[in-house]
Amino acid sequence: QNREISGRVTDAANGQGLPGVTVLVKGTTTGVSTDSDGSYTISAPASATTLVFSSIGYSAVERVIGNASAINIALATDAKQLGEVVVTAQNVERTRNSLPYSATQVEGESITKARNPNFINGLSGKVAGVTIRQSNSLGGSTNVLIRGTKSLFGNNQPLFVVDGVPISNANTNSSDQQTGRGGYDYGNAAADINPDDIASTTVLKGAAATALYGERAANGVILITTKKGRKGLGVTINLGATAGRIDKSTFIKYQDQYGAGYGRYYEDPSLFFLSRDIDGDGVKDLVAPLSEDASYGGRFDPNLNVYQWDSFDPTSPNYQKATPWVAAKNGPEEFFKTALTLNNSISIDGGNDAGYFKLGYNNIRDKGVLENSEVNKNIVNFAGSLNLTPKLTTSASINYTRVDGKGRYGTGYGDGNVLTNFRQWWQTNVDLKEQKAAFERTGQNKTYNYSDPSDLSPIYWNNPYWVRYKNYETDSRNRFFGNVAATYKVTDWFNILGRVTSDSYDEIQEERNAIGSVGLSSYSRFDRTSREYNYDLIGNFSKNVTESFSLSGLIGANLRRQYISSIFSSTNGGLVVPDLYSLTNSVSDPLPPTENETRIGVDGIFASATLGFKNMLFLDLTARRDKSTTLPSQNNTFIYPSVAGGFVFSEMLKDVSWLSYGKVRANYAEVGSGASALSVFDVYSKVSTFDGNALYSVPNTKNNPDLKPERTKSAEAGLEMNFLRSRVGFDLTVYQQNTVNQIIPVTLSTATGYSSRFVNSGEVRNRGVEVSAFVTPVKTTDFSWTLNANWTRNRNEVLSLYQGVDNIVLATYQGGLSSNATVGQPFGSLRGSDFIYNDNGEKVVGANGYYAQTATTNNVIGNPNADWTGGVSNTVNYKGLALYFLVDVRHGGEIFSLDRYYGLATGLTPETAQNNDLGNPSRNTIANGGGVILPGVKADGTANTTRVSNTNYGLYGYLRNPASAFVYDASFVKLREVSLTYSLPTSIVSKFGAFKGVDLSLVGRNLWIISKNLPDADPEDALSSGNLGQGYSSGSFPAVRTFGGNIRLSF
Amino acid sequence: CVDTLDDYNIDPKRPLSGQVPGTTLVSSAERSLVRTLVSSSVNLNPFRLYTQYWAETTYFDESIYDIKTRNINGGFWTALYRDVLRDLQEARTIINANTDPTFDPKVKANQLASIEVLEVYAWATLVDTFGDVPYSEALDFTKAPKYDDDMVIYNDLITRLDRAIGQFDVASEGLGSADLIYGGNVKEFVKFANSLKLRLALTIADKDQAKAKTLAEAAAKAALISSNEENAAIEFQSSNPNTNPLFEDLVQSGRNDFVGTSVFIDKLNMLNDPRVDNYFKARGGVYKGGVYGTSNNYASFSAPGAAQESATHPGVLLSYSQVEFLLAEAVERGFAVGGTAKSHYDNAVTASIQEWGGTTAEATAYLAQPTVNYLTATGDYREKIGTQKWIALYDQPVDSYREYRRLDYPKLTKPAGALSNLPNRFPYPVVEQNLNAANNSAAAAAIGGDNVDTKIFWDVR
Repeated sequence: QNREISGRVTDAANGQGLPGVTVLVKGTTTGVSTDSDGSYTISAPASATTLVFSSIGYSAVERVIGNASAINIALATDAKQLGEVVVTAQNVERTRNSLPYSATQVEGESITKARNPNFINGLSGKVAGVTIRQSNSLGGSTNVLIRGTKSLFGNNQPLFVVDGVPISNANTNSSDQQTGRGGYDYGNAAADINPDDIASTTVLKGAAATALYGERAANGVILITTKKGRKGLGVTINLGATAGRIDKSTFIKYQDQYGAGYGRYYEDPSLFFLSRDIDGDGVKDLVAPLSEDASYGGRFDPNLNVYQWDSFDPTSPNYQKATPWVAAKNGPEEFFKTALTLNNSISIDGGNDAGYFKLGYNNIRDKGVLENSEVNKNIVNFAGSLNLTPKLTTSASINYTRVDGKGRYGTGYGDGNVLTNFRQWWQTNVDLKEQKAAFERTGQNKTYNYSDPSDLSPIYWNNPYWVRYKNYETDSRNRFFGNVAATYKVTDWFNILGRVTSDSYDEIQEERNAIGSVGLSSYSRFDRTSREYNYDLIGNFSKNVTESFSLSGLIGANLRRQYISSIFSSTNGGLVVPDLYSLTNSVSDPLPPTENETRIGVDGIFASATLGFKNMLFLDLTARRDKSTTLPSQNNTFIYPSVAGGFVFSEMLKDVSWLSYGKVRANYAEVGSGASALSVFDVYSKVSTFDGNALYSVPNTKNNPDLKPERTKSAEAGLEMNFLRSRVGFDLTVYQQNTVNQIIPVTLSTATGYSSRFVNSGEVRNRGVEVSAFVTPVKTTDFSWTLNANWTRNRNEVLSLYQGVDNIVLATYQGGLSSNATVGQPFGSLRGSDFIYNDNGEKVVGANGYYAQTATTNNVIGNPNADWTGGVSNTVNYKGLALYFLVDVRHGGEIFSLDRYYGLATGLTPETAQNNDLGNPSRNTIANGGGVILPGVKADGTANTTRVSNTNYGLYGYLRNPASAFVYDASFVKLREVSLTYSLPTSIVSKFGAFKGVDLSLVGRNLWIISKNLPDADPEDALSSGNLGQGYSSGSFPAVRTFGGNIRLSF
Repeated sequence: CVDTLDDYNIDPKRPLSGQVPGTTLVSSAERSLVRTLVSSSVNLNPFRLYTQYWAETTYFDESIYDIKTRNINGGFWTALYRDVLRDLQEARTIINANTDPTFDPKVKANQLASIEVLEVYAWATLVDTFGDVPYSEALDFTKAPKYDDDMVIYNDLITRLDRAIGQFDVASEGLGSADLIYGGNVKEFVKFANSLKLRLALTIADKDQAKAKTLAEAAAKAALISSNEENAAIEFQSSNPNTNPLFEDLVQSGRNDFVGTSVFIDKLNMLNDPRVDNYFKARGGVYKGGVYGTSNNYASFSAPGAAQESATHPGVLLSYSQVEFLLAEAVERGFAVGGTAKSHYDNAVTASIQEWGGTTAEATAYLAQPTVNYLTATGDYREKIGTQKWIALYDQPVDSYREYRRLDYPKLTKPAGALSNLPNRFPYPVVEQNLNAANNSAAAAAIGGDNVDTKIFWDVR
């Protein structure tokens, strides 16, 4: 006699019912599936003793039936489960064991664990082979690099694909911004995705995995699969708030002994101060050298009264008063506020046999550590699918994002970035709170840095509060992306997908320099439109040819059309009316705006086939042909293949009990890519109009009507093994990718009349090792502990460039520094002037007592590429409590600090005000026992004995040292993410009626930089995403330690 | 499909090669040339410092001859090759290709001759600054160009200039209003060409006296720039981007980077020079220069004067005053150019004073002083002409730097703490070492070392 057993299967992670779980009577074929809320009822024969609960992606559980008539089970996800389904190129779902290439899937849960508003940052440290570099500026861009820099001048960022829609990850940052010459980091566009809508992310690394995506896939693909509606109706709400404070180990520490000035050459007898009659009594008074943005001035002395910047402000209590010459009580560290982020989302989903829908809304309000900075993001996403007939399914999805920024941080070098001021050019006597009070009192630019007591205009630096409240930028982006698709199931082994996708956005960026600021007042606006449409037709087939042989694959076509148009205009000669920001408010007639328009069309056809033998041997073949408008028509078609094989050898070793799984795989692939738009034909640049005459000039870059596609050749081999019932395992991959025929604007001797010229030449090789491993030392029903680790080592080398050329300058930076592609060196090697060393490796000091320097600035002085990167995460679950933390490591690589280059010269840091070998203040004049004997040797090899002055600026900074003196190790170890989550037990949650789950989390990000070697700054902080600016730190933002909480409610 | 999208790769916002009049590129080249020569940007033109007219206030790196940090030599080189010579070459190509039957061949000849004169000017500036430079293989993007011998280049420039002068037809139109210097006045353009020939002649005089003589005498027979109104100069405009670059550096930037040097201002004061109040601003009622080569307190010293702060201040390529100084020197060298050394010297000084708004009376009084009077002033002609030319060329720093090296007056000394001797030339830009290494090192060997101490071929004293 059969007996009925019923119950409910839930997801152990969130207590929600799990539909579609197979419930099987062990040893029989009797089984049922759970329904939409996870409930089941099974009629089991009397002989049945055990039920087996299994579902893809979850660990199967067996339960003895005994006398029970009700069995409730919570299934835990098993990321290492071998039957795990991985989303691969063109959204083909495949079981992990059939993959012949490296693909890492990261669950949405894991990305959002620390509630990072930019989901890309949430990938940091989690995937071997992926290097993510975050910026510390609010809403700043994130650089993502998979397996190294391949293209010297092309884009190296991976392609982002959301449910089949390629979405733009462009940043609009100018090359000036990216090389530290000021401007704002407007972030990268892939951050326009609702993190809570992500079901999973697959990182496809090598060309074999990505080749079907065509020319843009050479840099890897990040495939994002959003959540699908489940059966029934579900509502999930996330309420979260985080607060951030700067990490003081990443901010400058000041000396507190000397104030404003560049040295001993001013007006009073001490030569450290100006000497003017300020109070009108006919006697000259001591005045601080207001115009000077350094701290090589007079020694602080509380008994010395000096007229300082505030004594010239009639509204100040110190007006016409001299005040004690002392170090500021409140230095620039007081400038930073507590950052605040509110990250709230709601998603509603539901479905039945006819289809599903989901609707999500995410609001992120992000206020930064700088005054008046805010980025707000509103994201609405809707997707639905309807099974029109048993054979025809249609679906549509749309995402709308609106990003509004105000007061993004100025970056790099310039008066728009207060950090340039604080780190490089500062007066240590200036009290920040008094600067704040002065600005708030007057609403005027009451800077400490006036031109002169008789000329109260700002000379180099504005009041930092003025910068933040008056010279702010604003920006907004409106974006829609989505697709409409229909799938027709021709037979049970063949279906056809037709799909139209669109990614469309419009953005505006407005920048201001108010009247009364340093420099010309100005207003500029940048309007940009980006459109991308893809038209796909893909036939999918999958068939078991015999019992042992399976064949699946696809054949498809893709038409891509991109259109980007932008216009930049600016006032000319200043603004007329204060606080009015419009182009018509220009003193002189505005110059004609700069218009740019690029269009790209690519037609691709592709096919792939996967042959499987007994779920043990797999062979993948793909081919794609692209035709691109960016290339000259005679060279615009290119075809590239891939071949990949996998062997699940554990299938033959089923009796080896300790081996749970073993696979070897190897593949080879090529991917071609076109040129940047408009690289083929020569045009002229309009210079300006002079007195009614148009001026045209030959552009600096020579185009090339014979360009050919660039090509990346990639080979990869891997070994995956799991042991001890998959409690321990690793995945090891070695790869080599050579990118040849690079389309490079090869730098020319400007004696040719050009700065550069597009050619097809050069080869860059990336080779590396990726390892990921996991171990679950403890796993019981109530307690589990899992450790995940990954390690990546990539070696990049420029193998060749161009005939007769062994170096190409990629970018030049302030500080006599350049970033280069040099044959035999890795991408981006830093060149500059260097010390001169003798044969013993000692620094040579010249006869003048200063370090001898190379006359040339093309010495290789740094490599910005890391030796290796890695991440270790720990997850400990105890009943409903989950503790997670992630340590993110970068080892090696070097970074040049412009902040140190100038900040040491201007006497801001303590080492510039130390005592000398005689025990005297080194800043005393040499006659007065001061001065410094620099460690080093004379040309004859004997120790340096020449004492040099440290009274005026420059000894430690740029003036007397080569660029190499400011190159530091860029390694770091960071406690990147911490979260502690408590899921209320189902027994309690169920008492709240509608609730299915309640999770309470405490989260932390970047809480602790465990180790680093760059003084006073965060070696990770980047100016922008992209190829430029690597290994260069200027006006660097401190790291922000973020703490917060999140409540997740599901109904 | 893609086959129908041929226009996708054509820039819809910029004219394609050949689609603009050639003269528009001449205008651009003239503007770039003048801006480069008169700029005071520390990234481009440090010659007001090298000739010790100006000292820097706080940041004195360029005054102690730090060239590499800001890649100043590279900036100057690139401006001349890429922004001047390449545009002139393109202009010539477009004009040559113009086969429109209505295009008067004489106008065409005048346009091409004008381009040639401007090119000679730019090439001579490159040679005067670097020595051997890429010339015969330059302006060809397919080559890493070899360097040519500086004297060989100069000789070719002289030949080219002579040919261009012979090609002008003063009765026909030339560049028209696209000529930002003379507004299309061909007659004056020819005077500029002849004056340039005179300048080149005297530049090589110490090296090749005979050739200099022939050239100078030929030039003097032709029409030369004969008044300040005929100066080869661009009148800058009041609004961006056509303002004088000095205005941008001195006024618009809001910075106070420069003051006069004691070397220069003491000299002006000693000679009671009437130009001192045009050249500089008074400080506390007096003109006082800062110390060259170290930091100076801006408020303590005389800053550059109001004329230099004016957006519309002209930028000069060749002045009447310069021509007269050249003639005075030619007389002293025994060249038959007419007049006496004194008469030319007097004309030169007077023209300079008038150029800066001074009166004839001021000039007369000035010249009457024994310290200024050509007959009584101390030293040989090199010292007398060198000193006054230095004063007169205050706003032509590139010319002044050349004449200082050639005449060896005034005597200037490097400051304490200098990174090198006062440069005799710019080293080659660092990118040449990287991109054109073989030719660059051959050139370095040919000139006797790529450093600041190596002299240009004409600098034999």
